[in-house]
Amino acid sequence: MKSFSFDLAVSLIAGIFVCLIVLPMLALFTTTSFGELVCQLKSPLVLSAVLISLETSLIVVFLALCLGIPVAYLLAMKDFKGKEILDTLVDLPICMPPLVAGLALLILLGGNSKFGGMLSNHGIDLIFSKKGIIIAQLFVSIPFLIKSARDAFESINKNVINASLSLGASKFYTFKTILLPLAKNGIYTGMIMTWARALGEFGATSMVAGCIPFKTETMTVAIYQNAMSGELAASTAVALLLLVFSFTLLLVFKSRVKVQAG
Amino acid sequence: MGIVLKEISKSYDGRTVLKNLNLEINQGEFHVLLGPSGGGKTTTLSVIAGLTEQDSGSVSIGGLDVSKLSPGERRIGFVFQDHALFPHLTVFDNVAYGLRVRRIKGYEMTRKVEYYLSKVSIAKEKGKFPHQLSGGQKQRTALARALVIEPEILLMDEPMSSLDAITKETVRDELKSIQQEIGVTTVYVTHDQNEALLLGDRVSVLNNGRVEQIESPDELFYHPKTEFVARFVGFKNILKVSPAGINTHEAAVLINNDGMKHPIKIRVKKYPVFEKGKEINLCIHPEKITLKREDETVAGDLNRIRGKIIKRKNNGNGFMAIVDIGGTTLHAAISSDFKVHENVWVCFAPDAAHPLCGKKCREPEQRRKCFNGGNTLAL
Repeated sequence: MKSFSFDLAVSLIAGIFVCLIVLPMLALFTTTSFGELVCQLKSPLVLSAVLISLETSLIVVFLALCLGIPVAYLLAMKDFKGKEILDTLVDLPICMPPLVAGLALLILLGGNSKFGGMLSNHGIDLIFSKKGIIIAQLFVSIPFLIKSARDAFESINKNVINASLSLGASKFYTFKTILLPLAKNGIYTGMIMTWARALGEFGATSMVAGCIPFKTETMTVAIYQNAMSGELAASTAVALLLLVFSFTLLLVFKSRVKVQAG
Repeated sequence: MGIVLKEISKSYDGRTVLKNLNLEINQGEFHVLLGPSGGGKTTTLSVIAGLTEQDSGSVSIGGLDVSKLSPGERRIGFVFQDHALFPHLTVFDNVAYGLRVRRIKGYEMTRKVEYYLSKVSIAKEKGKFPHQLSGGQKQRTALARALVIEPEILLMDEPMSSLDAITKETVRDELKSIQQEIGVTTVYVTHDQNEALLLGDRVSVLNNGRVEQIESPDELFYHPKTEFVARFVGFKNILKVSPAGINTHEAAVLINNDGMKHPIKIRVKKYPVFEKGKEINLCIHPEKITLKREDETVAGDLNRIRGKIIKRKNNGNGFMAIVDIGGTTLHAAISSDFKVHENVWVCFAPDAAHPLCGKKCREPEQRRKCFNGGNTLAL
């Protein structure tokens, strides 16, 4: 009887969690019809926001792979002075409010700073541009790839790596033929988390790149802009599209992991 | 190629694992590193392989100082305790890995891989992944992977610890015959004295990062130099004695084992290592001890110590009594009619005890009987 009561209590709490996630999403559907949704999605402004978001977030995933995997490898495989600091730096963007990150990037990259001025003198303007969006998204999303890849590298049996080295393989060959294939699931997870985070980034992006339609207006910025100006239908359309992206990504990833585990 | 380790020291987080370790392994030798967990066996192997860098000392292979060379440059094959097969590669690809690293491809690679797969009797499983293999098959694959690159040195870290007894016996026999056929210098780590006895041409006993003794299995098991080696290889009755009086043929010695309430005087055969007052360890084979009941007469030429049977066990070949003689115990092979808690005389002849000095000073028939509680090991 006690066991039944406990199970019931746990199920009820799980039910509250489901409501917390599902109800707000359902609410989105109540504000629009399918026809209106299609109509909004065809509008140039929404289409531009979708394309800008996809383009920048995919570039961010690529850059995160290039920068993040070496950092993850370093953290997982090496012991060095300052490792704790590097580890904390990886976590920092996750804990930092995106607006603070955006402000910091704005100050660093803006024309008034030495660094920003130097870039500007060389014809590189990052503020209020797609490049700025990419930097902002990369800043907030790269920790997800690093942490996931690091966990994957750490889970590899060290003797497997030693076996490769003892067979004459170089560290790079071992990395390429043993570590990467064995860590691929963790890296895929990190890529998806990074992409989802980059796609949903708002605070830092809007600070660095502003909200210039057809130029720097990403999907999240478009949702905010439209909602604030009373264009709830357009806002909902973009929001639902983001939801579909996230849901599809998760489904694809989970089915892939299931197939490999099976 | 021979291996020479000179003054190797290694510490991890302030804990010394190897202390000025010196070891010479001859070309083509099957050398076993034997010792308890934490004795430094695996670290020694890892230092030879170049997978662990020593804090000080040098490693030479074939006369060449390889201390600064990477594992790949040392021409070694390594078989790990947990096999360490590449889980995403098939048996064939696991074995071919070292050849691909050396850019050996095509027919030459296939020929070599299949030759070694056949040699370790795993050819039928070449398309399987490691998770589809049994422990013995994984072990064979790991061995083939190490051998296919035709190493100068084969290093094996407790490779059979996860195998069942029957598989272990089969793989052990195969391993020995392959090693003899190829003639590769092999260093094999184990904590199992039977394995060391059966496989090794010579055995080094490691304790606390030092080599306690290096001998052929026969010499090591029958002439251990130290109490640690004696106990580790299975000697049961070790008496710490101080010679009190030495004459032409015999010596009177006092048993002073730790925990004894008072020393016990016995007579033993005189050995050259005896020096008056200098403590030495003596071993007595359990079968050389006779138990007599308190009311029985004991021949005058025998040593006689009063004791009490505290445990009796059947060791497969007969019964063994553990007798408390006043703070220390002796093992004695007995007939079944003695009972636990019975007071007895522990009797043995003066020539039954012999010193643990690493020197050959016993009769041939005493060989092979002084360890494992009296069980004679098949050599």
